[in-house]
Amino acid sequence: MNWQGELNKFLASAYKNWIISRRNIFTIFELFFWPMISLLSIGLLTRFLKMDDSMVSFLLVGAIALTILQVAQIDVAYVLLFDMWSKSIKNTFIAPIKSYHLVFGALLFGILRGSVVFIILVTVSRYLFGFDFLVGGLLPVLIFLAGIYAMAAVIGIAVCVSILTFGQKADVAAWSLSGLILLVSGIYYPIDVLPSILQTLAKAIPLTYFLEYYRSIFIPGPHHLIWGASLAAFYLIFGLIMLDRAIERARKTGILLRLSE
Amino acid sequence: MTEKSVEAKGICKMYKSLLGSSTTILDNISLDIEAGEIFGLLGPNGSGKTTLISIFSTLIYPEAGSLFILGMNARRDKGEIRKVINISTAKPNFPWSLTVRENLRHYGMLYGLYGSDLSRTVDDQIEAFELGDFRDKRFEDLSTGIKQRLSLAKAMLNHPRLLFLDEPTTGLDPDISMKTRMLVKRIHEEENISVILSTHYMPEAEMLCDRIAFLRKGRIVAMDTPRNLKKHLCLGERVVISYQGQADTAAIEKLPGILGLKAQKGRVEISIDRGEESLDQIIKLFSGAKILDIDIKEPDLEDVFIELAR
Ligand SMILES: Nc1ncnc2c1ncn2[C@@H]1O[C@H](COP(=O)(O)OP(=O)(O)OP(=O)(O)O)[C@@H](O)[C@H]1O
Ligand SMILES: [Mg+2]
Repeated sequence: MNWQGELNKFLASAYKNWIISRRNIFTIFELFFWPMISLLSIGLLTRFLKMDDSMVSFLLVGAIALTILQVAQIDVAYVLLFDMWSKSIKNTFIAPIKSYHLVFGALLFGILRGSVVFIILVTVSRYLFGFDFLVGGLLPVLIFLAGIYAMAAVIGIAVCVSILTFGQKADVAAWSLSGLILLVSGIYYPIDVLPSILQTLAKAIPLTYFLEYYRSIFIPGPHHLIWGASLAAFYLIFGLIMLDRAIERARKTGILLRLSE
Repeated sequence: MTEKSVEAKGICKMYKSLLGSSTTILDNISLDIEAGEIFGLLGPNGSGKTTLISIFSTLIYPEAGSLFILGMNARRDKGEIRKVINISTAKPNFPWSLTVRENLRHYGMLYGLYGSDLSRTVDDQIEAFELGDFRDKRFEDLSTGIKQRLSLAKAMLNHPRLLFLDEPTTGLDPDISMKTRMLVKRIHEEENISVILSTHYMPEAEMLCDRIAFLRKGRIVAMDTPRNLKKHLCLGERVVISYQGQADTAAIEKLPGILGLKAQKGRVEISIDRGEESLDQIIKLFSGAKILDIDIKEPDLEDVFIELAR
């Protein structure tokens, strides 16, 4: 197989998600409505509490990161969810593809959507709250976004794994993972306010380090970017292995057939 | 290529319930399917046809048994196998909001097609399956017949050497069913591919299949050509003769090819293997009588089905 054919196996999922997303009126809610709600409510909160600039930047970085994470992770999960809802899973899994084709193809579209949201949020927060997200230059932004997209992929993979293992309704469990990340990775507060057990958990989540890194531009301080990046890579590889195993198991238990009934 | 499409030995499939008890869905299935054959899987609801097709197409894995598809080991070489097979599932479903063309493009991409090759293949399939009028219609707006045709078109995207069709005509009206059968026959001949199909319709199996396996409760209870199946079940042609006067009905039984005989006054019902050859001799035995009516009925697989499903 040449590289163009191989590339198209990835792009297939991006293509599918793109068309479904384009034809779905609720995409507007995912891309504009909810991101704006979360940015505006946090931004206005900082006004109300009369926070200084460093506090404002702390909270807005958190709010923007969380919003992009949520947009991108759902795209990865959609790769399986759309197939499940339309009962076309058999047609996907009879094709000569690997789990990484599906995940990275869908992630590609998630990155596209996430980046659209990112541009909107950065623009809005600049004009409404006077916060210049890009003050540190382009490279830190790219590193920060890469960290968020890696996290999105990991959560999306976790959703896929739980559907393949426990069946249709199991996605709820995996979405809670994203709630847990919100709680412990320091989106709206530094992790040292957490009880020590949750701090340990926070240190196991890559997003914590990417937030710490990006905030260090606005509020100088130490960061552990390398460690965060290594963790993210580890989870991603581990997640893909788990997904492969979940697919193989679903073929053994027959869940794969039942997901398309 | 001379290797067999399918070589299956001792295939078993079990499903475990949450409580740990397991039900056997397929029990020790062994069969060989030759290259180029159209092979039919028949059997009542729940007999395991879809499960067997899913195993042969590497969608799911069996608990036991050895399986070679097109000469490749189904466990080890599944990636290679998937490149050269395809399936049209029962009750075909595709992403709802994608149009016919977009669906075909999407699946074409999953098979690694790209560029002008992808566009051409998609257009070719749209033409071959007469989907032109529907190319820009969304899947959710298609009729059952068109969905089925789209499913067949999708199954041909990678020009498979082995094609699985799970109930390709279920839910279609008689006219569309017949067209679909002709279509299957055509692709089989033109593309020279092996086809394994499941069906509930006897005329379909009779029209299309070189050989048939009849499944019941996860076992193969009969496997042969349609013609031999009818023969071995003593389901020959039935000749009913009504007559007036005297006839030597006892002598009929001694003629060659007679499978059974029921004689009443003025009426005999005879099952014969090869009608054309013995009919003449039978008629001679009625020389002393006046034949009022002769009715010859070909047995069909419907009779086989009812006989075997019992
Ligand atoms: N994932 C599964 N888990 C448990 N049991 C299953 C599963 N899939 C199928 N079965 C059972 O396996 C048996 C065989 O099913 P299968 O779908 O292969 O039959 P079939 O011959 O295709 O029937 P039909 O003519 O209705 O399509 C049925 O009793 C069915 O209930
Ligand atoms: Mg079936």
